[in-house]
Amino acid sequence: MTKAFDPQEIQGNILRGYRRNLVRHLILEVTNAGVARRFLGLSVAGDSPDVPAITPDKTWPTKPEFCFNIGITFEGLRALRVPSRHLETFPTEFMQGMTKRAIKIGDFGESAPEHWPAPFDQPERVHIIASIHADAEGPLDRAQAQVERAFTTLGVRNGRNLPEGRVFFGYVDGISQPRFNHIDDPSQKDVDEPIDPLGTALLGYPTRQEGVTFRVPSPRDLGFNGSFNAFRILAQDAAGFETYLNDAATELMTHPDVNQLADPHRLERIGEGLDMHGALREVVAAQMCGRWRNGVPYELSPDAQYPEERVSLTNFDYSHRSRCPVGAHMRRGNPRGGPIVQRIANYTRRLVRRGMSYGPDFDPKNPDSQERGLLGNFIGANLGAQFEAVMCDWINLGLQDPRITSSNDPLLGANTPQTSWFDMSLPSGGTIRLRGFPRLITSRGGAYTFLPSIAAIKHLSELND
Amino acid sequence: MTNPNSWLNRYVNTLPERGWFNFLSRYVVVPYWIWKEPRPKLPGGPRPSPQPSESVQRMMNLIMPLKDPSPAGRARATMAIAQNVDEIFAGLDNVGTVHFARFLLIDDNICMISVYDGDFSNYIRDFITTIGSVFDDVVSLVEGGEALLPTEHNVEKFIDWVHDHDLFQAPDFPTDLFGLQDAAKGLAPNKPPHMLESLPRDLILQLHANRNISLGGGYRAYPGVSAAQVRRKFGQGW
Repeated sequence: MTKAFDPQEIQGNILRGYRRNLVRHLILEVTNAGVARRFLGLSVAGDSPDVPAITPDKTWPTKPEFCFNIGITFEGLRALRVPSRHLETFPTEFMQGMTKRAIKIGDFGESAPEHWPAPFDQPERVHIIASIHADAEGPLDRAQAQVERAFTTLGVRNGRNLPEGRVFFGYVDGISQPRFNHIDDPSQKDVDEPIDPLGTALLGYPTRQEGVTFRVPSPRDLGFNGSFNAFRILAQDAAGFETYLNDAATELMTHPDVNQLADPHRLERIGEGLDMHGALREVVAAQMCGRWRNGVPYELSPDAQYPEERVSLTNFDYSHRSRCPVGAHMRRGNPRGGPIVQRIANYTRRLVRRGMSYGPDFDPKNPDSQERGLLGNFIGANLGAQFEAVMCDWINLGLQDPRITSSNDPLLGANTPQTSWFDMSLPSGGTIRLRGFPRLITSRGGAYTFLPSIAAIKHLSELND
Repeated sequence: MTNPNSWLNRYVNTLPERGWFNFLSRYVVVPYWIWKEPRPKLPGGPRPSPQPSESVQRMMNLIMPLKDPSPAGRARATMAIAQNVDEIFAGLDNVGTVHFARFLLIDDNICMISVYDGDFSNYIRDFITTIGSVFDDVVSLVEGGEALLPTEHNVEKFIDWVHDHDLFQAPDFPTDLFGLQDAAKGLAPNKPPHMLESLPRDLILQLHANRNISLGGGYRAYPGVSAAQVRRKFGQGW
């Protein structure tokens, strides 16, 4: 097509993660287009002492003090004065923005944009989301101060990594990601999931769907090598989750098939010092997610969170005989090569997921109801074909398998206790239906952003009023 | 206070049958409204819904105007379907979420009528991914079709185009029309609330913007059941 792909031409937060301790997302409004464009020009040139440099994708000899990247909403592109003949070449869902797509992606009820706190209650003012990754507060503060000279800050969201890479529900997260030939990522060395074509995450390359290409917005400098991001603020009801695990375990204790879920003589395989009730809580958590909370995939180790022989965290597939429930969160989001109704869709809706937690620590022994959750980025070349496709037909509704259709994802789904259900799987092939769990993850804000390439940021900085 | 049998009331009640009144409304009043308060065209297809039962068995009424509506042109459209029908149906089979689909020639249009589960964009995208090259034969006969070819390389544009040519589905509760009209203008629905008496006028204006519409969401014999659930129940494989 064109010359070979050079990772230095894209922003560094797309194809691989930074693995820093802290993140700060600045939600910005462009109030002076000229000042904003000058900032972008200096930022992408990367040699100004007064403007944080955009971090491209490259292997560092030494870690920079911080990493700095930007995503721009459709309103933001307009505010930077991208001409309308070019704006029109962006995809409809991006033009409409996240709030107009709310029902499709499950943002209704408590998650509806009408309930989002500032600054996401005024989506038309959210122009740029600038993300600073670092290992300490100092660099975050310094970069923020520099950014604020060029933009109006509407809001700030701080995130951090929890110990052991866990999230507030207690699971180790971020294990399975798309992987690309062009990127040397040591953490993906032994993964045997299929290689994803670059078109999964970047505009202008072949996609997993044979023959299908996504439109590159015009002009090519602006669109090529770009990516789209669904930035989501997802509150996790950690206390509600632990309470539900208690309730479910109590109910299962009297179920005739309970010993199929946990062998009462070998509970230590599920967790040290656990009684039957405690073990059942972990089994429910593991089946709902598709992974035990320590990250071990349920598919490979359905009887033990701590299997005697080490199992791969990433290398497995689903089948008609899978022990991992069809409705498990992880299997819904990425059914891998397993049987699905949409026969041609296997591996076509892959998303790059990057997230950090926000809010105070959670102690399951002293649960509180303060807001905490995940600052998530769901990145792909096409929001409609990837993020929205997964959210509306797979996470919610469950169209991919007739056994789960009309149920929602137990962790991420738009559930209500009156209608929610989840079928736990048994080794005999039977199921036990759990009911009555609440919505555990609620949207508290977000925006669809375009992640421009290095050339695109230059292009934007050179626009005129 | 007013007597329902008064002379004036009886006369007003007969207005819809009076020729002079019909002439006036047809040639003066309605055109004036259309000029003064035009309604934006409402988008086609079923609307997204939080209810799982409303998210399966959704109806598509795709009306595609033929470039050449003469008998010869209509014959070409007939041939385009006939020659590709096996592949089109095999493609629908691979999409996996389609209950029924059929093609019609009505006046100057070729129409695809189908019932599918889940998201509209996913349906169209998967359909084009499977048999885009075959369906291109049909699209090439349709007004505006050349801008969409090959559809595999214009997936987003094709989805938008189909959405635009899918019939608007009038709400099952007539008063829901107010909220849809507000949303199409970028306003918050029903703020402020609309006067019930203005519903006939709003409907007339909408039928000017959307000439052909689907009257309501349609009948379902077994609501809430997906195509794959039916296939599984009857041992057909999914």
